[in-house]
Amino acid sequence: MKGASPAARRTFRSGLFARLAYHVVRLALGAIFVYASIDKIRHPAAFAEAIANYRILPDALVNPTAVILPWLEVVIGALLMGGVWMPGAAVLATVLLTVFEGAFIFNIVRGLNVYCGCFASTGEVLHGNAWYLARDSLFLAAALYLLVTIFRSTGNDADHGAAP
Amino acid sequence: MRSGSAHMWLSACWQVPLILLISVVTALSVNALRREGRLALTDGPPPPAGDELRISIDRAQELFQQGAAVFLDARPRRDYLRGHIRGALSLPWQEVDDRIAEVADRLTDDRVIITYCDGQQCTLSHHLARYLKDMGFSRVRVLPNGWTRWRQSGLPVAQGTGEEER
Repeated sequence: MKGASPAARRTFRSGLFARLAYHVVRLALGAIFVYASIDKIRHPAAFAEAIANYRILPDALVNPTAVILPWLEVVIGALLMGGVWMPGAAVLATVLLTVFEGAFIFNIVRGLNVYCGCFASTGEVLHGNAWYLARDSLFLAAALYLLVTIFRSTGNDADHGAAP
Repeated sequence: MRSGSAHMWLSACWQVPLILLISVVTALSVNALRREGRLALTDGPPPPAGDELRISIDRAQELFQQGAAVFLDARPRRDYLRGHIRGALSLPWQEVDDRIAEVADRLTDDRVIITYCDGQQCTLSHHLARYLKDMGFSRVRVLPNGWTRWRQSGLPVAQGTGEEER
């Protein structure tokens, strides 16, 4: 950068920062996906019970979801961390997190405590779950950031984790 | 920019189904091969641990009338204060380790311990029953959806801390 104009330096620095942010978010979100799946894979019956407690899926879909969903998380997480198939991984990560957040909010609105599958008043459920809601919103924001970054990149490199 | 974006969408179009396929195949293979904890895909959700301890509302009522049972309310404390089975003790599942000492002296094996919470799907009472079983209490039962069914049967209820009922 020696001899470059201040404007060029700023552009270079902001590009460097954008690349760094992209990789940090990609690695962190990937690790979160993998980490979140471990307990579900180890205890599928408990995860099935947790899904049933959401009282959204019909009974027939609870067990298949409990078996398949954790592995989908593992694959998405591994792809995000490896920087492989980023468009597909980012789309699925965003869709999954949107569904999780939607199901959570749906149950808060209807006053269901998803930890026991029992109904309480809406205010109480919201109070107990505010932290989880904030955390899941952060994850969703991270996934959306990756998605937008990847789909706005001009080259083919994002396919292999090198966006922007 | 447009061509880059179009390329990404094209990539996503074949990657998404492939990722789903890989996940499904891996998940089903692991589930089929695992020795412990395998889930039957065609079954409904597994019954919660402790479901084998369930007791009927009629039997619970009998024991209540004979004074041969102690009822434990596994719901959060505020729900208990709003209304509970008359004479029941509050032992919220979320606080069980902190509050077990408050009720322990009232739990004896000469009376059946009946845990309950509210809602068909509620498993707090199941967890509490298993916990007490593991502690060594032998006569523990679960009244599923207990609070709703107790009220619907027109059986005695009370509000408040429950001190005056004992």
